[in-house]
Amino acid sequence: MKVLVVSSGVPFIRGGAEILADNLCQALSAAGHAAELIFIPFKHYPPSRIPDHMLACRLLDLTETCGVRIDRVIGLKFPAYLIPHPNKVIWLLHQHRTAYELWDHPMAGDLIHHPDGPVIREAIRQADRELIPEAKAVYTLSENVSDRLRRFCGIAGEPLYNPPAHASLFHNRSASDYLFFPSRVTGVKRQLLVIEALAKCQERTLVRFAGEADSPRELAACVEAIRQLKVEDRVEWLGLVSEEQKRELYANSLGVIFPPVDEDYGYITLEAMLSSKPVITCSDSGGPLEFVVDRQTGLVADPSPESLAQAMDVLWADRRRAAAMGEAGRARYEDLKISWENVVEKLLC
Amino acid sequence: MPNNNGLRILIATVRVPFVSGGAEIHAEGLCRALREAGHQAEIIALPFKWYPPERILDQMLACRLLDLSETVGMAVDRLIGLKFPAYLIPHPRKVIWLLHQHRQAYDLWQHPLNDLHGYRNGDDVRAAIHRADTELIPQALHVFANSRNVAGRLERFCGVQAAPLYHPPRDAALFYTRPAEDFLYFPSRINPLKRQDLVLEALAQTRLPVGICFSGSADEAAFDQKCVKLAQKNGFADRVQWLGSVSEEGKRDLYARSLGVLFPPVDEDYGYVTLEAMLAQKPVITCADSGGPLEFVMDRQTGIVAEPTPEALAAAMDNLWEDRERARQWGDAGRQRYNDLHIHWGHVVEKLLA
Repeated sequence: MKVLVVSSGVPFIRGGAEILADNLCQALSAAGHAAELIFIPFKHYPPSRIPDHMLACRLLDLTETCGVRIDRVIGLKFPAYLIPHPNKVIWLLHQHRTAYELWDHPMAGDLIHHPDGPVIREAIRQADRELIPEAKAVYTLSENVSDRLRRFCGIAGEPLYNPPAHASLFHNRSASDYLFFPSRVTGVKRQLLVIEALAKCQERTLVRFAGEADSPRELAACVEAIRQLKVEDRVEWLGLVSEEQKRELYANSLGVIFPPVDEDYGYITLEAMLSSKPVITCSDSGGPLEFVVDRQTGLVADPSPESLAQAMDVLWADRRRAAAMGEAGRARYEDLKISWENVVEKLLC
Repeated sequence: MPNNNGLRILIATVRVPFVSGGAEIHAEGLCRALREAGHQAEIIALPFKWYPPERILDQMLACRLLDLSETVGMAVDRLIGLKFPAYLIPHPRKVIWLLHQHRQAYDLWQHPLNDLHGYRNGDDVRAAIHRADTELIPQALHVFANSRNVAGRLERFCGVQAAPLYHPPRDAALFYTRPAEDFLYFPSRINPLKRQDLVLEALAQTRLPVGICFSGSADEAAFDQKCVKLAQKNGFADRVQWLGSVSEEGKRDLYARSLGVLFPPVDEDYGYVTLEAMLAQKPVITCADSGGPLEFVMDRQTGIVAEPTPEALAAAMDNLWEDRERARQWGDAGRQRYNDLHIHWGHVVEKLLA
């Protein structure tokens, strides 16, 4: 089949969605299809630019190329998934979140602060409600994304999970004395919450943080909290690590901490499961909750320093139980049949 | 985060999905050159479909609606527009390096292969394209063209001036030469505008047993079949080789071992084939109406410029076949001319960012 994967994003920024789009194209090619990525640049401010980009997408014509039919269009991100096509399938990574669940979020909300914000929000919601159902099938990145789509737009979408990159290279070794927290260092991943929790732990818990800071400001806030709470000797700050180093850090850890705010999906949960490690997450963390079974493959804590500290103490104090939960996580990953072959089959059927 | 004084540059172009040709190589070459010069560069390639004609207007509007002025609060320092309609995307610091306009609305309007001409609304769409180009191209800070030929058309049809800015073919440093063997080489997509059919008709008129190697993939099955039939009809299937798509190494080897290169397209914008032949020290046979190649091929000094008839092309092919020593000298002179023209990416980057 001739398949076009369509997505939008911000030029010069390469994040999870861009990696997923590339991986999807590779998986389609590996399955014997001709696949290409169409990337539509998107600038979401001032808010009036949003309808412009929505209209631009509606004006594009991907029905055929040089007289040859394009068999399938797979839409990933807003507003690119609005591009019309008679054989479109949407695999929704996320909608324009500040028009939905992040509308009045204290840090992320942006539309809400503009006079025309409510009107633009309605335009986005109306387009999504009317045009997403044009697709032959609607899949989503996760149950969390499906749930938002159902709640806000009344549209059903089936979660379709994809594996992290290089899934087969993750492995397990016996646990050393640290919990591992890999993530970009930024507000919504809540490194600060974990630092506060460390100060409340009964045990001498050690946390290794890996990942780049989104900005020097985010990094400074963490460094300041570590100093104030006097947990310098309980924290190792690794910064950006290679993929290989990351896999080693997973393999040798006692467990993985991943307590973000309402994550869409979260490869980290899956990488921890592939490494047979228990995962500590929070009850408001979104995506990870689809995978972590509380007290069986990890611990779901309340998003408070006290509750997180308790969870960290549990793993630290009972290594055997931690290892058993890790093994159960790996078994759960296998049960879920998360593979690119499955993704391709679903998106093309 | 930029750790030097590099600029943030976007290259705006369009592409036809699942078709990759010279324009894609061009955009990628430019992107690489900008990065090597220490800048952050990315290609924005919008999809383009030119039929039915009203779709062209839709896509022109889509381009006008995009906003590439900044990303997450940081200015995009330069937008370099290459192809229609992507070069219409507004930007306060835009430079256009015109690969070509929508040729069916200009020089190819009367051409028998033009599809726009045949539609009821073709005239109106053509007028809208002319108007957009005439009014919006001059909004750019600077306008360059891929070649003198492209600049000439822009001036003739839109009254807009552009400076020609030449760039090297991909992997220019890897071309080399070898002693000539018994074949002329014609590397190009098999396409009516490249005129493989004319060359086959010429072959029927040659006095000498000239052999030709064709390489390149076929764009349209109908034309491909026409060429194969022509070769068979004239009974010299043994003098013609169809290699189809060849690797870059294979192509360079064929250039190197050829006696000379055939490149007689219809009003080509630029034409890497000419430059690649010059790099491989081979004489080039082209036609008086071939456009771009005429900026490089000097008749009877670095190749032959023939009339676009089977007879004239046949005479040119016989000419190279007959006098191998002269063919070699013309090839050497072509390489010398390439060196004299200073065609390199460093120069291009300097001009586009000036």
